[in-house]
Amino acid sequence: MAEFKPRQKNSASKTISPKHFYDEESWKTPTSIQRAWFASGCTTLLISVAKSLIMISSRSTGLRSWIDPVVAAIVGYVLGDLGTGIYHWAIDNYGTARTPVFGSQIEGFLRHHDHPSAITKRHIATNLYVGAAGFTIAVFPMNIFCTNPNLLAFAAAFLGCGMFCQQLHAWSHTTKGKLPRLVVALQDSRVILPRAEHAAHHHPPFDSHYCIVSGVWNRFLDKYKIFWAMEMIFFFIFGVRPRSWSDFNSK
Amino acid sequence: MASISLHMNHTLPSLLHAQTPKATLYQNLSLLSKSSQSQFHGLKLSNVPPCSVPSHSSMKTSVFAKVSEGSLVPPFTLKDQDGKTVSLSKFKGKPVVVYFYPGDETPGCTKQACAFRDSYEKFKKAGAEVIGISGDDAASHKQFASKYKLPFSLLCDEGNKVRKEWGVPSDLFGTLPGRQTYVLDKNGVCRLVYNNQFQPEKHIDETLNFLKSV
Repeated sequence: MAEFKPRQKNSASKTISPKHFYDEESWKTPTSIQRAWFASGCTTLLISVAKSLIMISSRSTGLRSWIDPVVAAIVGYVLGDLGTGIYHWAIDNYGTARTPVFGSQIEGFLRHHDHPSAITKRHIATNLYVGAAGFTIAVFPMNIFCTNPNLLAFAAAFLGCGMFCQQLHAWSHTTKGKLPRLVVALQDSRVILPRAEHAAHHHPPFDSHYCIVSGVWNRFLDKYKIFWAMEMIFFFIFGVRPRSWSDFNSK
Repeated sequence: MASISLHMNHTLPSLLHAQTPKATLYQNLSLLSKSSQSQFHGLKLSNVPPCSVPSHSSMKTSVFAKVSEGSLVPPFTLKDQDGKTVSLSKFKGKPVVVYFYPGDETPGCTKQACAFRDSYEKFKKAGAEVIGISGDDAASHKQFASKYKLPFSLLCDEGNKVRKEWGVPSDLFGTLPGRQTYVLDKNGVCRLVYNNQFQPEKHIDETLNFLKSV
């Protein structure tokens, strides 16, 4: 089982407003809006898959017609992991609870560092409704207007990773015994985020292992210090320090 | 470690004037190196014959190498973390390790400073002094040095004047001040130049190994 140190304090806690106290009970029962967005996200995804299959069938000129969208979807899945890493890095390091649009997410991610197992108590709709809303808004128009099955397959896979990454993240924090066997098998084969892979992120200064779909990009990004380079660039151009530097300096 | 040519095909520079190399050489080696090293890993600059590089309009971040191995370094007088004036000439008669770093309280610079601190006795044993230089002011240096108990001087290179004079290359398309260390002999001649932005602790190993070998 992946070991997480409980209640790891970091400088992010100082940015969270006491007014936004985290109500753990509310996570277990999603609101109607959360359920609606989650449902719409899943429906949009199913429509994308169905439409892709219909387009491929109607135009099929051989095996290639089927392989290309599958490859596009795989590329979307691989790049989705990278996308979650970049988003996770940005949310973990910049902005506060008061940042427009992203404030509540920033707060949620930062509290997660203090309470890493809390995410496992959230209902799937509570966990995913934000991503599902984004997915619906981005992909629904494509379901209507897109006539390229490869593009639709890529978008559905790439953005679908964004929608489901929080659940993959939650599973990575869940003890093995509480997970369905299929999930454990997918984690062990690194198709989805393994528990040990994500445990490496949960140590101050929380500056590595940001990707949370499969974690396949983590090794490259950390080995070549890509995020460190981006932080340095942001600092020297905009004068903004990432939170991970404060956590580094307070070690 | 990869060796990149930066030999200047002209006379040694005077103490007062910057070098004007006859050949145009690109020192933003993190972009242009053909070494097998990652562009963020260490590049040792050594005295080998120059290579001619065609000019490209996109390569606008090149910096001429003004201090290289074998050259007499331009003197400087800067303020340290306590506001005291420090001249490079004060250290004549002993080897000096001058390390340029991007900024105080950044993770790489902190690792580097602490690594120099932890090996400071070894540098002293080798008879060398260590000086850190960045564009931060005295207050920032004071806080940085105090927080990490740094036993050596940190100098304030206001406007990065000395950095430019010495030709310390920038990284990542000029967005990052470079991290480059020079080892000067007791006559003020540069004997080693080491550049490595993202492996800061290696500066200590490289310079110590060099000092032990001479």
